[in-house]
Amino acid sequence: MRRGFFLGVGALFLGWELFARIFAIPLILPTPLETASRLLEYVQTSLFWFSLARSAGEVGLVLFLVLFLGLPLGVLFGLRPGIFAFCRPLVAIVQAVPVISWLGIVVFSFGIGWRGPVFISTLSLLPMAILTTASGVRSLDGTLLEMARIYRVPRLRRLRWIYGGALLPFAEAVMEVALGNAWKVVLVTEYLCGDAGLGVLLAWARQGVDTPGIYALSGVAVFLGLSSERLFRSLGRAFRLRRRGNPCSL
Amino acid sequence: MLSLIRVAHLGVRFGEHRVLEGWNMEIHPGERVVLLGESGCGKTTFLKILGGLLKPSEGSISGAPSRVGFVFQEPRLIPWARVARNVRFANPACPVEDLLERVHLAGWEHAYPRELSGGMQQRVNLARALAVEPELLLLDEAFSSLDLRQKFAIMDDLLEFWKRQSCTILMVTHDITEALYLGDRILFLQGSPSRIAGEMKVELPPDRSPWGTDFLERRGTIIRRLLESSQGADQG
Repeated sequence: MRRGFFLGVGALFLGWELFARIFAIPLILPTPLETASRLLEYVQTSLFWFSLARSAGEVGLVLFLVLFLGLPLGVLFGLRPGIFAFCRPLVAIVQAVPVISWLGIVVFSFGIGWRGPVFISTLSLLPMAILTTASGVRSLDGTLLEMARIYRVPRLRRLRWIYGGALLPFAEAVMEVALGNAWKVVLVTEYLCGDAGLGVLLAWARQGVDTPGIYALSGVAVFLGLSSERLFRSLGRAFRLRRRGNPCSL
Repeated sequence: MLSLIRVAHLGVRFGEHRVLEGWNMEIHPGERVVLLGESGCGKTTFLKILGGLLKPSEGSISGAPSRVGFVFQEPRLIPWARVARNVRFANPACPVEDLLERVHLAGWEHAYPRELSGGMQQRVNLARALAVEPELLLLDEAFSSLDLRQKFAIMDDLLEFWKRQSCTILMVTHDITEALYLGDRILFLQGSPSRIAGEMKVELPPDRSPWGTDFLERRGTIIRRLLESSQGADQG
């Protein structure tokens, strides 16, 4: 399996090299070697590492906000269908509005800086977190709640043991999807309204017609997105193994 | 004798559909009462009323005790919580080890429900019900999904508990053997909406053998009674 993966990666780079040589237009498709040497130049600058740290910080903040707001709102919407029906149009609109549409509001409200990217990225991922959590709450086993009512179990204990356990797989799914998308969304929003970060480096590379730079930074973004998602999955697996393989044990 | 629960003219309907009608009964402290009736005759509905999950449409129940244990037909264990946590869920202050020992599950505190057999899960269900030190223990077809050996083993555990604590047991079942093995008074349910059609005192010692002559004789009596009443109902 691992061997197949590395063969696939090798084939990808080989195809890239081939196409770059056939087309021979470095402005559109630089070779892997040109891209790698540009990346090497980047990693030798402090600006690159500062930008990386800035983007990572924004991604972390976005994930925190998505979980901090999305899970409780999702639980509320799952428990109170009336409130969910009332708020559904707003959630649907927020979900459907393209990232670019927020730009005007954000630039006028926050100016250029870190707040705009965090605000837009959070709004882009929040509806997914809310809807996934709400469907988790709605799919909760009613017989467990009935059992808790018969034993007059206090609300807090019910929340901890019934809702908490049932929602753990959904929270994990939310986190996984949010992680996969957060890097992409943050970089786009930095590109549009940020003052620092990998997205801003991308914008500068585009302005300078630095195609290998664009490819190098895109490669970094892909690597960060995939590796953070993978890291989260590994952590989740380790947690589950520690809990004897139960997918949602507490 | 002072009654623990008094049911008067109890009726339940769901919309236009009447489930129970005109139920009158008294349950005394320490009694083991069995409601025997076919599936769908409203037995579980009655237990849900006693458990506080449903309100009757008419009539009243007085004297419902505050500490009620409920052994469900299916174990209803929290899948992501260990056995000990499942038992403590009903009462965090209960002596888990002691309770698990009583239901022959000592040493299984840290297991998850999926690691237990159906019979063991049902024992946890029973231990959780005992965790609240129930004045009234409700059993809803609690043994119907178990094989014969497990069924009798758990019923023996339950009788052992009853001898020690002398709580009141109310069990609903459609199984005559279970009814005779556990109950000392059997109420027969019949019709739709269901009514209490009669009652029978078992008058057997608590340690009863399911193949003893007295036991089998009573079993025969109940079967004859049920068949005759169902034939009567068909003709009517």
